[in-house]
Amino acid sequence: MSDLEVQIDGVPVVPARGWRFEIVDPARGIGRLVNGLASMPVIVEGGASDWVVTIRGRRISVTVRSWRERMLAGAETAAAARAGPVAVRATLPGLILSVAASVGDAVEDGATLLTIEAMKMQNDVRAPRSGRVIEVSVHPGQTVATGAPLIRLE
Amino acid sequence: MPPFARLLIANRGEIAIRVIRACRELGISPISVHSDADVDALHVQMADSSERIGPPSPRDSYLSIEAIIDAARRSGADAIHPGYGFLSESPDFARAVEAAGLVFIGPPPETLESLGNKLAARRGAQAAGVPIVPGTTVALGDDSHELAGIGFPLMLKASAGGGGRGMRRVDSPGALADALVAARREALAAFGDGTVYAERLLAPVRHIEVQLLGDRHGRLAVLGERDCSIQRRHQKLVEESPSPAVNPGTRAALFESARRVAASVDFHNAATVEFLLDADNNHYFLEMNTRLQVEHGVTELVTGLDLVAWQIRIAAGEPLADAVLNLAGRGHAIEVRLYAEDPYDDFRPSAGRITAWRMPAGPGVRVDAGVSADTDLRTEYDPLLAKLMVYADDRPSAMDRLRRALDETLIGGVQTDAGFLRWLVDDASFVGGSYDTGLIGERWGTDHELDSELGALAATVALAARTMAETGRVRAPGSNRAGSAWGEVARREALRR
Repeated sequence: MSDLEVQIDGVPVVPARGWRFEIVDPARGIGRLVNGLASMPVIVEGGASDWVVTIRGRRISVTVRSWRERMLAGAETAAAARAGPVAVRATLPGLILSVAASVGDAVEDGATLLTIEAMKMQNDVRAPRSGRVIEVSVHPGQTVATGAPLIRLE
Repeated sequence: MPPFARLLIANRGEIAIRVIRACRELGISPISVHSDADVDALHVQMADSSERIGPPSPRDSYLSIEAIIDAARRSGADAIHPGYGFLSESPDFARAVEAAGLVFIGPPPETLESLGNKLAARRGAQAAGVPIVPGTTVALGDDSHELAGIGFPLMLKASAGGGGRGMRRVDSPGALADALVAARREALAAFGDGTVYAERLLAPVRHIEVQLLGDRHGRLAVLGERDCSIQRRHQKLVEESPSPAVNPGTRAALFESARRVAASVDFHNAATVEFLLDADNNHYFLEMNTRLQVEHGVTELVTGLDLVAWQIRIAAGEPLADAVLNLAGRGHAIEVRLYAEDPYDDFRPSAGRITAWRMPAGPGVRVDAGVSADTDLRTEYDPLLAKLMVYADDRPSAMDRLRRALDETLIGGVQTDAGFLRWLVDDASFVGGSYDTGLIGERWGTDHELDSELGALAATVALAARTMAETGRVRAPGSNRAGSAWGEVARREALRR
């Protein structure tokens, strides 16, 4: 039991002292955090080691892993780092408004690669990691579907 | 005698439901339409019948004039309400509805045509003696000297845009040439028309709009203003009426300008004239929309009118009642929009399945929702989930009510802007009423690192949830629910034992 470790964004987090979680509606994951007379509603979703907790309207991804699961996850991360080029795909269907990256550019992790307009909104597509642009598959004015390859990074 | 027997609603989500409710009260049979993605949608369930209009992509369904006219013919509708968005401002659609022998709940096609051209609308307002935002009134050529007198920063706007779409900020003369090329290209790609014009970027400003109802007999009702200054990406998030920034003198001037713009336009419908209001209480015409606005409910709360019912009656030829013409609003109403957007990541749209859905109720609270628990949110459609409105005798009481209502609101499965809205009702600039269109950029900002206190609380919940799931203390009924592996863990664990 007590070998469970909680992490948020890869950083270990110590649970809040004095607070207790009570489930109210298990089917919907609705519960509350209680500390003496104070309480606040929360929502929890997920299972196994991956959970999403909504507090004060904010969804927070939390991993809860045993020692064994931590070892397995570490091995997977190492394997992913050795993998080759990465394809950046559209997560929304929409219209390509502009493309900031060109073939040959070195981009930093999080750099804006292009902008898609979907649902009246402009959404920046960012680099998932730093690398060199080896292919640009779209141009401004083009409509793309979800999952369409946009850019490849090496 | 109902104004129409059957009315087809060419829209989806909360606004389709809003029109269905008006139809019910008027004794009209409401007919909805749906794409393949919306077979189980709430608006389909609430109508008397629903017609399929095509695949999920809006272009092939909710934006398909042909599919919608066909649906209206099949269902025997005698009128069509377009809602907002989609085809509500399409002159071609209005023309096709009339050509099919049906009544379009909206203005004549020619009016939609002339107001859809934002440059022509600027010229029209100017000719009517209404101040417009300083800038050009003809299409920009390649000569940037045309802009010499405007000053920087300025906004390049697409003439075919509007509603906050197709805008680009330019901060210095050096950046102009490139921006002009990019703005034209974007306008052409988004609207099929590359015409752009320039306006001085006014700041700080408030965004104020005046609600109108005009009938087919030349009568016009001016139904107060709404303050729509809380915006992200030039799109509205919060609206209130009356505006805390508008004093009686300014209000009279805004109403007079709205009347002048309306008089220069042939329309019979609900309509809104939008203005910018600067710190010295000068107002400038921005655009006019001759359709139902998303935020119409705010005006309904302070006037007691049903604007949608009036749209339908007006379309059927009924004159506006004298009581409507001389209506003064009372009390204070505020609307906040619940969107599937991530306020901690620049309000990017989110998608997914709603796992939990608790909306507030009680005195002075109105919720217009288009979704409920188990709705799958698709990225093809607008991420608006619901409009939460409150009404009270005065602004401070309305604020208290809104804070209470937001505390009752609980949405699971997708990231929403509810946390931002809850922050907003404690923000001094919003509560004090002194805010302007820069509030989100300046006060909410973009830095939203998770604070350690919230992280520790989330850790407590997740740790307890995993432990509960593994010990079988939590067993979800109907536990194979997609989007919640929570019940599945419990079941797997139970099988293992």
